[in-house]
Amino acid sequence: MPPIATEKLTRAADAFETFTSEGRSLRVMFENDRLTEIRQGENSGLAIRAVKHGRIGFSYSSKQDEVEQVAEAALRMAPFGKPYEFKFAGPAKNNQTRAVDERCASLDVEKLVQLCNRVKDVIKSIDPEAMAECSIGGGIGRSRILTSTGQECSETDSSFGWFASAKIAEEGNFLQTYRMRSGRNLMDDAEILQGARDAAEEFKVARKTAPLKTGTYPVLFAPSALADILMPIAVSINGLNIAKKTSRLVESLGEKLFDERVTITDDPLHPEGPSGSMYDGEGTVTSRRAIIEKGVLRGFVHSLSTAQQSGHQPTGNSMRSVSSLPMPGLHNVVMDAGSDDLAALFARANGGLCVTQMLGTFTSNFLAGQVSGNISLGYLVQDGQRVGRVKNAALNVNMFDLLKSAIIGISRQREWYGSEYLPWLLVDGVQVSAR
Amino acid sequence: MKEAMTTLARKSGADYCEIRLEDSWQTSIAYTGKDLENVQESHMFGGNVRVAVDGCWGFVTFNNVNDLESRVREAVASARAASRHARDRSILAPTTPVQAEVRLDPKVDPRRVTLKDKIDLFGSYNDTMLSAPGVTSTNLRYFDKVTRLSYASSEGTWIDREEVDTGMGASAICRKNGTTARGSASEGGRDGFDRFRNLKLRMEEAAQTAVESADAPVVQGGTYTVVCDPHLAGVFVHEAFGHLSEGDNVADDPRMQEILKLGRRFGEDYLNIWDTGLDPGLRGYLQYDDEGVPTEKTWLIKDGVLVGRLHSRETAGRMGEKPTGNARAISYRFPPIPRMRNTCIGNGPHGSFNDLIKDIKLGIYAMESSGGQTNGELFTFTAGQAFMIRDGKVAERVRDVTLGGNVFDTLRNITGVAGDYHVQDSAGGCGKAGQMPLPVSHGSPHIRIKDVLIGGR
Repeated sequence: MPPIATEKLTRAADAFETFTSEGRSLRVMFENDRLTEIRQGENSGLAIRAVKHGRIGFSYSSKQDEVEQVAEAALRMAPFGKPYEFKFAGPAKNNQTRAVDERCASLDVEKLVQLCNRVKDVIKSIDPEAMAECSIGGGIGRSRILTSTGQECSETDSSFGWFASAKIAEEGNFLQTYRMRSGRNLMDDAEILQGARDAAEEFKVARKTAPLKTGTYPVLFAPSALADILMPIAVSINGLNIAKKTSRLVESLGEKLFDERVTITDDPLHPEGPSGSMYDGEGTVTSRRAIIEKGVLRGFVHSLSTAQQSGHQPTGNSMRSVSSLPMPGLHNVVMDAGSDDLAALFARANGGLCVTQMLGTFTSNFLAGQVSGNISLGYLVQDGQRVGRVKNAALNVNMFDLLKSAIIGISRQREWYGSEYLPWLLVDGVQVSAR
Repeated sequence: MKEAMTTLARKSGADYCEIRLEDSWQTSIAYTGKDLENVQESHMFGGNVRVAVDGCWGFVTFNNVNDLESRVREAVASARAASRHARDRSILAPTTPVQAEVRLDPKVDPRRVTLKDKIDLFGSYNDTMLSAPGVTSTNLRYFDKVTRLSYASSEGTWIDREEVDTGMGASAICRKNGTTARGSASEGGRDGFDRFRNLKLRMEEAAQTAVESADAPVVQGGTYTVVCDPHLAGVFVHEAFGHLSEGDNVADDPRMQEILKLGRRFGEDYLNIWDTGLDPGLRGYLQYDDEGVPTEKTWLIKDGVLVGRLHSRETAGRMGEKPTGNARAISYRFPPIPRMRNTCIGNGPHGSFNDLIKDIKLGIYAMESSGGQTNGELFTFTAGQAFMIRDGKVAERVRDVTLGGNVFDTLRNITGVAGDYHVQDSAGGCGKAGQMPLPVSHGSPHIRIKDVLIGGR
């Protein structure tokens, strides 16, 4: 990486922060049973925040050699910027380490293509009518932060991920089931093929439909749907909503909000988590932190700015890309496992639903705790089994109420869904509209 | 550059090769509450090489243009590796090579307006919303982007085009008794900065919507006849039918080809749907797509019957149909795929808004949109604001109105199309395959749909 503290910055800015990143990635893609594309990406960039007369200016470029121009633009923006009320990160070192899987930097195209073919074969062997979709890829990235206040840190990150799906479009029945996983290390072929098998087995069940009437049901949320249900927590503990007092949890630290079986941790250093880093997007040292502990609210997630505005300590949760200002966010969301066996939860969900995919929940009023949307993939559960897919149904829940008093059980089993490691959650009394 | 790119594309050794360079300058302004949250000017430069060997694609992106020849070699190597394992071959539908230079009319270049003027203008709009009694916060985002795109293909196409894109989204927020309600206003286009002036009244309306919605009851869930305003109807046609019409949904899937067979009836005689790149000034305006194909007005449904779909050269080639100029990429980081431009429901025979609602005993008037999603068959989206319709008249305001349903049933259930076609651009965009937000437009008159599932209390 080129030098990133220019003479112009040190001379003209009262304080500054430079952020550079670069990465390479490779991905092999199968769609509709056929290999469609091999994609190789290179990306790089440089972002600068510069302080002049007490205000912060920001600019970026995808060209790392445009340091002078970016510094100049950042200084030009400063008069319009926000007041510099916090301090850029000072010198600090994270004594923990994160392993980097260098194999992600030199993935073998031929091997990935063959693996995609095997994924397709697995799916077709379970249901020949399914159309297979698969993508596998990974890469390596490096980032570096340098501040005039003394922090200088850099980090290398490896990534690997796969997606395997079975789908069909039939008159009156569009269906897609999938499994996916992303992480920091190369994954075994066996794991990917098992994911394809699970997606195809679910596909077989989902091809049958089951009738449903509008009513109140117990609902078993799979990790992939629970991620949607938990969105109000992520939004309500976000430093932006704490600093602006738009979250209902502003005054709730230490308060018991939920059932004591609910424990949620943010773990930037989780060895299997695809997100996370030793230093956040502003160079603050990260650490594993409790968000909800036995139902009690324990922590918010802050950037330097939101921490200062809220009168809290920074938490190492600044997220950024080259083209965006640092914003608070969660690294890897880890929810504690429960004590219930998944099969037992299915048995207790008798007559209710198992939901694995929601559609359109992002338009919900998360700050109010509301999560609403179509059930794009859900099943009627009878005698401990998913007996068929429920169609044309929507649900609307208030997560704060749901996690407080509606939990029947939480599974021992957990699965990664994106950067969230979650169990299955069985709740009672969910209002489902159906047609 | 023209010479170098064209020569490299021709000499790649692949069956087909295209090279794209993209240079863009963006200004962004964001207010949150009283704070000017973000002001930035930035520069992005990058490019890609996309090649086909035996119908398989190799795609390489880069930020550094110095070693273009190596990038072409990498893309060819990828495509070769893919082609060794492919059992199926793509064919690109033929097009006539184009040589074109498209220069920006300096009058529409938003860089002519100073950053300070922009900050002052949007700051005044933000103040208008914030000063309305009952408004507790605001969000206002503005961007403008000027892009120069250079494109060369091995078939001899060379396009050097400049384009501008602008957008603004403003929301007034009212928090009251644990309820959060919003009112929104949006604007956008490709014809310069002037369209952002004189929007004070719209800011006042957004504030009023937020304050009134906070006091409104949550809608009672159930099945209703719904009248959608042009904005929401446009979102509906985009989400529910536009995506379904994209060629990559259909080209490789015999079952989808059966479901979306040309000539099949999807709605009543008065249902007309098209997608066009030909409306100057709209965000969905496009002279050439990202494969260098001139855009057009593509009919999708004519008199209730399916007559077309949206193609890239690849999907058109696979289906033996004609490319429609719909291959679009959000940036050099992605390959072009079939995407919409300006997707519209045409005017119908059912008069005015009042004519549409006069026979509705109990229904919902759903306006604007705060987002939507579809999985092909099912759709869901949330109205920006809504009212009950009682005995043929607009009645009390309700909130948290989420519409959901089956695309095919819903198209059949359109029982009224008014004659008041309207397009309102915004700062948002369309998302697909990780490419978001792509500038698109959508337009419609008011439409009436029976039996819509409304999520609510």
